[in-house]
Amino acid sequence: MLTIWIGAIDMGLAYAGLALGVYLTLRVLNFADITVDGSFALGGGSAALLLSEQVAPPLALLAAVALGALAGTVTGLIHTRLGVNDLFAGILTTTGLYSITLRLMGRSNIPLTDLKLSISQLPQLGFAADGQWLIALLLVAVGLIALLALWLATDLGLALRAIGNNPVMARANGISTRRGLTLGIAVGNGLVALAGALVALYQGFADVTMGIGSLILGLGAVIVGESVLRPRTVPMALLAVVLGSVLFRAMIALALQLGMDPVDLKLATALLLLAALGLGRLRIPGVADPAGREAGRQS
Amino acid sequence: MTLTIHNLAWGHAVPGGSWRQLFEGFSLDCPAGQFVVVIGSNGSGKSTLLNLIAGTLRAGSGSVQLDGCELLKLPDHRRARLIGRVMQNPLDGTAPALTIAENLRLAECRRCTMFSRRGLFGGLHPSRGDRRRYAALLEELGLPLADRLDTPVGQLSGGQRQTVSLVMASLGAPRLLLLDEHTAALDPRAEAMVMALTDRLVARLGCTALMVTHSLEQALRHGDRLVMLHEGRLIGDWLAEERQRFTPAALRALYGGVTVPAETPPCPERS
Repeated sequence: MLTIWIGAIDMGLAYAGLALGVYLTLRVLNFADITVDGSFALGGGSAALLLSEQVAPPLALLAAVALGALAGTVTGLIHTRLGVNDLFAGILTTTGLYSITLRLMGRSNIPLTDLKLSISQLPQLGFAADGQWLIALLLVAVGLIALLALWLATDLGLALRAIGNNPVMARANGISTRRGLTLGIAVGNGLVALAGALVALYQGFADVTMGIGSLILGLGAVIVGESVLRPRTVPMALLAVVLGSVLFRAMIALALQLGMDPVDLKLATALLLLAALGLGRLRIPGVADPAGREAGRQS
Repeated sequence: MTLTIHNLAWGHAVPGGSWRQLFEGFSLDCPAGQFVVVIGSNGSGKSTLLNLIAGTLRAGSGSVQLDGCELLKLPDHRRARLIGRVMQNPLDGTAPALTIAENLRLAECRRCTMFSRRGLFGGLHPSRGDRRRYAALLEELGLPLADRLDTPVGQLSGGQRQTVSLVMASLGAPRLLLLDEHTAALDPRAEAMVMALTDRLVARLGCTALMVTHSLEQALRHGDRLVMLHEGRLIGDWLAEERQRFTPAALRALYGGVTVPAETPPCPERS
């Protein structure tokens, strides 16, 4: 029974990069980026391909991050240089990425069953491989939160936050909003691709369709996390979205535990998100305070 | 830094499909360090002039040079590195979700390019040293914000936000200061505070400044020179000492640029 919950936490942590990437583009840059559906599958597919070719896992993960960042750069350039609307730029890249990922993988599915990973040397905590994954993914999530929190507190990170918060002010202070947006979207999609690679590693296969619905999972993590923690600082917001990712997965696991038909899972996900959004809007004393939430929003 | 505007032209389409040429052959020379107050009725082109200098609007033709550097050829973000700007709306000049210290840091890095803004190896900012410097600056300027450096700017009043915006415009060694009706949205008390701060900052920076205002009181009390625009033309240009002969009634009559009252000093020819 407990193993199921540890598995759900593992999945939530594996998806942490996705949640952080969506937070970076949506909350920090105020850019609705649909590229994540494509870059998640690109990260998973490319890492699986490299791992099946016996490339060392760290290198495969790095390559996935680089490809994800490249996909983000393309969306950024389409938006900033060609003036294409943010949603449409993301749709264009994601559509193209499906074919690119399929070409890269050579087939629609790559299994990773007989892979030997160094995490097998970690303690199992009584939950077999899931315990080892828990430690490894927790380390990755903490590392990502720390790196991103530090980065967003530098002059460069400050410039990106200003672009999302008030682009007029950013430009008036000599910040190139075009370059900043492109850089931020690239980093966001690099994180998403890392999540795709980690999920492929965790579940033991990569599929070309694994990215479908990633955006809603990332959004869910951001919204649930913000609803629960109501962060007032950037590090707390990053912690909140990772917590949101785990909670979101746990809620899905709970729904399945309660006997929900997997066919209804997407509907349940949408309703869950709606509930989280509604809680953020409703004035329920002690549960939701829209004014406080808005004032505390850090981007 | 000398600001030289020469033969500036700009027009815009108006409803109905016709074209309105607001500026045609507009020229203005502002010597280094001069504080120029620009007045004129609505639609006379005051804010448009500032937008053309700052790059928010693209000039049709002409030249805007800052100490020989052609501003019109620079992309707007590179132009912004030379210009400190305070906008009319206090909401426009600051990032509300960022703290006072973070906003000041952004302005201080005005000269940095996106890629010379250092990431992790440049350290965390605003650092303790930055905060100490900003607190000292705010205290020196007499602003009661030194102990609120970690307050998000969105939680400040309009007047406080505009003072932050003004301090930001003065950071990063701007060569030109553009103030676009920056007290228009403030109550009289906040207006007096912001104008006193404006005078202190302009004197402290010693750079050329252009201030657009509708306040005749400000026009008579502040700046080294007063210019008046009407329909994109310069219809009045007086130095501070000539301005002393004005009465508010004379200035009011001048608004609209049609009647020049008897007590108004003549517009001197300037080369």
